[in-house]
Amino acid sequence: MSANAAVPTPPRRRVVGYNLLTGLVLGVVGYYVGWWIGHHIHATSIGYFADTNQNDIAVFLGYFLSVVGFLAGLGFLSYPWARVRGYPPSLREKETAGVARYFGLCTDHKVVGIQYLIGIGVFFFIGGLNAMLIRFELLRPGGQAFPAGNYLTLVGLHGTMMMGIMSSAILGPFANYVVPLMIGARRMAFPRIEALTFWLLMAAGTLLATTIFFGGFPTGWTGYEPLNDQANSGMDSYIVFFGLVGISMLLLGLNMIATIVTMRAPGLTWSRLPIFCWGVISTASLMLLASPVLIAALLMATLDRTAQTSFFIPSAGGSTYLYQNLFWVFGHPEVYILALPGFAVVLELLPVFARKPLWGYRLAVAGMLGVTLLSWLVWQHHLFVSGINGDLRPFYMLSTELISIPTGFTFLCGMMTLWRGRIRYTVPMLFCLAWFFNFLIGGLSGVFLSDVPSDVTTHGSFFSMAHFHYTIMGGLVFTFFAAIYYWIPKMTGFQLNDRLGKIHFWTMFIAFNSTFAPLFAIGFMGQPRRVVTYPSHLQFLNDWVSVSAFVLGASMLVFLANFVWSLVFARVPAPRNPWGSRSLEWQLPSPVPVHNFDKIPVFTDDPYGYGDDDGRVPAVVPVGAPAGGGS
Amino acid sequence: MSSFAEHSTDYAVVESEPPEQLGRNLNTAGHLLASATAFFFLAFVFAYFYLRALNNAGLWRPRHVNPSLTLGTLAIVAVVASAVLIRLGLMDHRAGRRRQWRLKGWLALGLAGVAVALQIAEWATQGFGPADGGYASVYLGWTGLYAVFLLAVIYWIETLLATATRYRKIESGAPPAGHASGDSHRTGHDIHDPLSLVRPSLEALSFYWAFLAGIGVLTWFILYIL
Repeated sequence: MSANAAVPTPPRRRVVGYNLLTGLVLGVVGYYVGWWIGHHIHATSIGYFADTNQNDIAVFLGYFLSVVGFLAGLGFLSYPWARVRGYPPSLREKETAGVARYFGLCTDHKVVGIQYLIGIGVFFFIGGLNAMLIRFELLRPGGQAFPAGNYLTLVGLHGTMMMGIMSSAILGPFANYVVPLMIGARRMAFPRIEALTFWLLMAAGTLLATTIFFGGFPTGWTGYEPLNDQANSGMDSYIVFFGLVGISMLLLGLNMIATIVTMRAPGLTWSRLPIFCWGVISTASLMLLASPVLIAALLMATLDRTAQTSFFIPSAGGSTYLYQNLFWVFGHPEVYILALPGFAVVLELLPVFARKPLWGYRLAVAGMLGVTLLSWLVWQHHLFVSGINGDLRPFYMLSTELISIPTGFTFLCGMMTLWRGRIRYTVPMLFCLAWFFNFLIGGLSGVFLSDVPSDVTTHGSFFSMAHFHYTIMGGLVFTFFAAIYYWIPKMTGFQLNDRLGKIHFWTMFIAFNSTFAPLFAIGFMGQPRRVVTYPSHLQFLNDWVSVSAFVLGASMLVFLANFVWSLVFARVPAPRNPWGSRSLEWQLPSPVPVHNFDKIPVFTDDPYGYGDDDGRVPAVVPVGAPAGGGS
Repeated sequence: MSSFAEHSTDYAVVESEPPEQLGRNLNTAGHLLASATAFFFLAFVFAYFYLRALNNAGLWRPRHVNPSLTLGTLAIVAVVASAVLIRLGLMDHRAGRRRQWRLKGWLALGLAGVAVALQIAEWATQGFGPADGGYASVYLGWTGLYAVFLLAVIYWIETLLATATRYRKIESGAPPAGHASGDSHRTGHDIHDPLSLVRPSLEALSFYWAFLAGIGVLTWFILYIL
């Protein structure tokens, strides 16, 4: 890779301009403008609010204009306005040198990937802090620190932030960063949209946090009706949050699919596509199609709260079940939006650290696509105890249990890849191996919830909470850290400290299991979710769980210390390909130049040919070729 | 400054991207966007039939809840006519009849605007409100959000027409570098011959607009005829 031919002079740094500071200022101004307009509408046209003592129109308009102002301040409206005036299309913006580009609109996919990593990390820690407070509250059977309403808000904030923000935990930082590199492209298909997805997510997380100024929300992450309609203005934060997350996910999914379909380098056929990219396509297709349903449901809820429609109000011709159905049409694919990227990371990393080709490549692809397809046919198992027609139960029980088959494909491919491999127990590999253990428990406990008789007794209990923490935290968060330890050397040019990484892993793995395994028992013994009190005989187990959760939280601090120490203070340069990977991103310098490739590479092999040559030969011929999709 | 912030764009490399690439992207994105749009409106189709079947409190559709079939039909005719005109304009563009394309494009833009205006007129004159039962809720939510999609298409048509009109005298090649947005350090366009992208964008628009018009016809059938 040759050095850059001409490096332009960095721009002058300006406080006033399109950047995060301007975005925040205009966001606040936008909120108050919306608030003022909302109250004007209230005063002149709708008398409804005189009775309810709250003005959701003002809150929604405030949030809407706040987001518009935020995006305007970041510079997102300049290009659409230029297009309105007839100026021609362009692709790239602000791809200049300097740290400032990380605090504004930048269309470099690698900058966006790092922005995602930091942004998601911030909200992950906030969500984790909420979990610590929840476990602190549950140290004693009676309420001690928070009133019941505040406890519900705390639970809702934790669940909503984790489910919403972490939906993009792998695709946001890592797919944005490495997919173009893996497929031999210089950029994502739509770079501005890529940047927009990140900033929308940040706006969403920030607005969700403001719910505490409006009294919080009592519904947990599902936002069920009729509580949703009856709740105070804090509920509006939830609706706006998930709406923005939905738009962000939709655009992220669209961009990912378009990128992989159209921008593969010559020779990168579908059967040579890295398995990580297959996982990204599976996840992205769910994001693309499930998010619109969520957005529609939330818009209906918004209209119920503002314009007095009655989508979800039974006494006025609506139905609360309508919300449950629409929410779970999104909600169950959402579970796989969280899980599939974990599959993808594990299957991508295992061959590297087992020094073997990926076993059953086509089976692994079929497994992920099978999960994607079946995830559309299972949503009503969430309504087993809500009063659905009993005749529907067998179908949804069967379809849910069927998902274990394609999931089993993934497990099989992973296990067989390990079989007789020359396994290197690096930190990323340890996290991948933990995924097998955690996700197996999560999957097996899921069978109890898909089975009607056992679901009737465990639904809404700590058992189901333990189940989804094993699948989502055990399946996604562990692979999220695997991806961090694996790709950070490429993303930053620095190596994370190995010893601290292993301390982080073992602390997290043990504390995670110590936290969530007892919850199965607590659930069987009848403790329901989202309730601040519990019987006194469950205190020992709850205390055990709380202490374990605190250790789990402390393990995150070990990671944070490692991250800051390694990247800010120690700064040990990483080799170009420290893991001996054959994937294309590792054949590039660390960190990668902005334009990625001087010339578009040509693929001549798949990226998993380990064994013969210890994996040190790149699977591409880096010679000049016209840009374009793989044939 | 950390090392991962030291790089900057090699403009010589990135400022000559072939427009065919973006054309393919637009085509793919148009289809993906259509599928997402379908799922969005499926939620309203589901809501319609679900609430109609339940008829909770006997309030699915009180007698006075009857939107104007005339205005609704006129609106959907305007939508379909606009989509047809865009398709004809695309054929003109392919045949090199740029002036005719622009004429049809402006007409299509006007008709899309008329459709939105007719929808607003219908809301203003109908004899029921959002609180009048399940049908009224679905009707107002569905038509309201369909109108938002119409506004998005109007924006898309306008940007294409604005570019085609502003550079109507440039047959090929790129306008001055300063006309590209954003980066003050840019020395040229990052897409080689960006004006050539009007055609693929028009093709993507034509597909999406036809798809959305199809959803409009379905909307009209369900809300006004069933």
